[in-house]
Amino acid sequence: MNPIYIRRRIVNATCLTFSILAMAFGLFWLFWILLTLFEHGLHGLTASLFTEMTPAPGNEGGLLNAIIGSLVMVILATLIGTPIGILAGTYLAEFGQRGWLAPVTRFINDILLSAPSIVIGLFIYTIYVAKVGHFSGWAGVLALSMIVIPVVVRTTEDMLRLVPNSLREAAAALGAPQWKIITLITWRASKAGILTGVLLAIARISGETAPLLFTALNNQFWSMNMNQPMANLPVVIFQFAMSPYESWQGLAWAGALLITLSVLTLNIAARFFLRKHEYHK
Amino acid sequence: MNNNSVLKSVNDDSVAEIKMKVENLDFFYSKYHALKSINMDIQEKRVTAFIGPSGCGKSTLLRTFNRMYQLYPSQEARGQIRIDNVNVLDRKQDLNILRAKVGMVFQKPTPFPMSIFDNVAFGVRLYESLNRTELEERVEWALQKAALWDEVKDKLHHSGTSLSGGQQQRLCIARTIAVKPEIVLLDEPTSALDPLSTARIEDLIFTLREEYTIIVVTHNMQQAARVSDYTAYMYLGELIEFGDTRTIFTTPKNKATEDYITGKFG
Amino acid sequence: MSQEDHLADRTSKQWRYDVLFRQVTRFFAFFVFSLLAALIISLLIGSMPAIKTFGVDFIFSAEWNPVTEKFGAWVPIVGTLVTSLIALAIGVPVSFGIALFLTELSPPWLRRPLGTAIELLAGIPSIIYGMWGLFVFAPFFAEYIQPWLQNSFEDVPGIGFLFEGPFMGIGMLTAGIILAIMVIPYIASVMRDVFDIVPPMLKESAYALGATTWEVVWHVVLPYTKAGVIGGVMLGLGRALGETMAVTFVIGNAHQLHSSLFMPGNSIASALANEFTEADGELYTSALIELGLILFFITFVVLVCSKLLLAQLQKHEGKIT
Repeated sequence: MNPIYIRRRIVNATCLTFSILAMAFGLFWLFWILLTLFEHGLHGLTASLFTEMTPAPGNEGGLLNAIIGSLVMVILATLIGTPIGILAGTYLAEFGQRGWLAPVTRFINDILLSAPSIVIGLFIYTIYVAKVGHFSGWAGVLALSMIVIPVVVRTTEDMLRLVPNSLREAAAALGAPQWKIITLITWRASKAGILTGVLLAIARISGETAPLLFTALNNQFWSMNMNQPMANLPVVIFQFAMSPYESWQGLAWAGALLITLSVLTLNIAARFFLRKHEYHK
Repeated sequence: MNNNSVLKSVNDDSVAEIKMKVENLDFFYSKYHALKSINMDIQEKRVTAFIGPSGCGKSTLLRTFNRMYQLYPSQEARGQIRIDNVNVLDRKQDLNILRAKVGMVFQKPTPFPMSIFDNVAFGVRLYESLNRTELEERVEWALQKAALWDEVKDKLHHSGTSLSGGQQQRLCIARTIAVKPEIVLLDEPTSALDPLSTARIEDLIFTLREEYTIIVVTHNMQQAARVSDYTAYMYLGELIEFGDTRTIFTTPKNKATEDYITGKFG
Repeated sequence: MSQEDHLADRTSKQWRYDVLFRQVTRFFAFFVFSLLAALIISLLIGSMPAIKTFGVDFIFSAEWNPVTEKFGAWVPIVGTLVTSLIALAIGVPVSFGIALFLTELSPPWLRRPLGTAIELLAGIPSIIYGMWGLFVFAPFFAEYIQPWLQNSFEDVPGIGFLFEGPFMGIGMLTAGIILAIMVIPYIASVMRDVFDIVPPMLKESAYALGATTWEVVWHVVLPYTKAGVIGGVMLGLGRALGETMAVTFVIGNAHQLHSSLFMPGNSIASALANEFTEADGELYTSALIELGLILFFITFVVLVCSKLLLAQLQKHEGKIT
């Protein structure tokens, strides 16, 4: 056989083997990490995890206050960030053809989207925590909503742009005013996509630790006072994992498993949701 | 060519009123001069067809009648379009009122992402505060007119997107009629449909003609001959010839029109 | 009221709603715009004391001493850049392999599940990577990989010094590897998406000449999607630069520079995570805020570069169609 051809075949086979190995390499980590989480965290997933407070060093306890704190902050941050993101994204998609604001905001939104979350924590610290003089649940909510906003802005704009212009024209041809075209037709047509974006944003902030370090901090006790430091899963996991106490480390693993499972479930749910929507079209 | 249908449309001898006058209309996509000094009269309760090769400006002309172009900032129309003696290109003309009066059906069916009932009721709700029964009556009336009622009466609350292409297009026609417009614009309404659905839409156009002024853009010359009373032949943004359909199709004055119609060109 | 008046009244109301709606959405777009302005200004104000005290020296000084209040950002800056570069050195070829597998080799029914699995790597919270890195990966790394690396490369001139020192498991190299795992899903999914937009006809015409899969990918697909691929790499780089928790767990948090990648170091993000809440004194806090500002600036530059490259890709597409 032609020697050049043999060489080409060998190069091809080598590179394709590398490609398969790369795929295996990627999957390998996913399984290793998930395996570790189940190994260390599964036996910690007991009823007391959901019914007891975070314990003092060396004592047994649960993560109830941290779970509730995380839930409250994530829900509030989503409630604040989603409407802002949807409205701003609507401006970019529907009114952004003219003027300077839309292109500039689009660019800035991308910067916010890729800004390190710890810098966002730093920002909320300097404008809020430093001014009021103490860490608080509200500060954590603000930091998290600042992560939600750019995600929702981006998906809202992308999804609205997917709505065919013919649909807008058809509504306009009936004499519908623009605000009704947007609220009744285009939002409705892109509902599933926007919701997916919100779900992905929730998934992202559920696991965020860095921006909470300087804002909500942590609270060992039950506290629903949003003006006080507030317990939350990621920071508790961080502190407990770094501690020398075995009971704390056990709780950290259980919390880690819990948070990973919820975030991955949210991710898969979001994908499933979008896919169903695609098929529907 | 189907001579019977041409005769059919000419048999109607009642004298028509002028519903719309287009005067010295120019149209620009940014700098591109897409329509050049168009003048024409559209007769009331008649079907007028616009024919011509792709890109000749027939759809552009249609979209000036309800000022659909105004959704896009770089497009501009100059001249006058007088509907019932009011210039609708005037700045003071309210766009939404104009569009309620001049309905439009598009090339591809555009059902809204809502139920069949809500699709038809959508436009009605914009302008009239009807109670539930009145609204139901109106929706049924519009679906009857669009010859869709029998097919959908048992599934009014299914999604509009669940219908077949031909049904979706009739749904869009029902939606347009439900608002009770005076003029209906049809932009190649059958180009995305199969022959059977096309025939049904053509029949529909013929019935609707009794109550509405209809303007239809079409690629299909047989269709123009079948459904229209008047035909306008356009080429490169200009109105080449305009007259009653039988004349245009049998004894065109203009050589270019004749070439296009006989298939030598286009 | 006549029908006409009634209609006119309705439409003037609709017109007002239209304006109102547009202004409300405009306000929130402006709000997003001002968020960034506020972020930059507040970080600038916060870091003013440090900027005034140290000036440009802040960037190039390797000293970090809270007791004498001498602060320099060189160690964390280098740490951030080095760990991110290690992440790219490992992550880019692997991501390319994964994208190649998903677009060219995988049986169709496996594409979606495998693609999703890789994307799920991006869904795992970074603190989990940190814990796993510290408690599972680092001991494994110290026991098996580090001795092997040292044995293999000890005597190679030019790079042997990178693998000197004790096998601690944690350090710059560990941080870089974990970052690599974290950026792979981002880079791989961008690469897969841009590979997917290559017109099938282009690939088919190369195959028709008798090219192998590898040759098609290397000579046709990759050049066609060059800008998009680089954009994806930049996206991954941005993620790696700003990553906090995973790095904090495994980098060792030492304000020292070593030539060996086995030794502990520090990154900007982990210095902030570790020290910010404990910082006392205006200058200390301010120096940390300036670190944050520098990190923000670096990610900003990376983003702008990737934007420019993606714009290039779009122009390129425009030419072809």
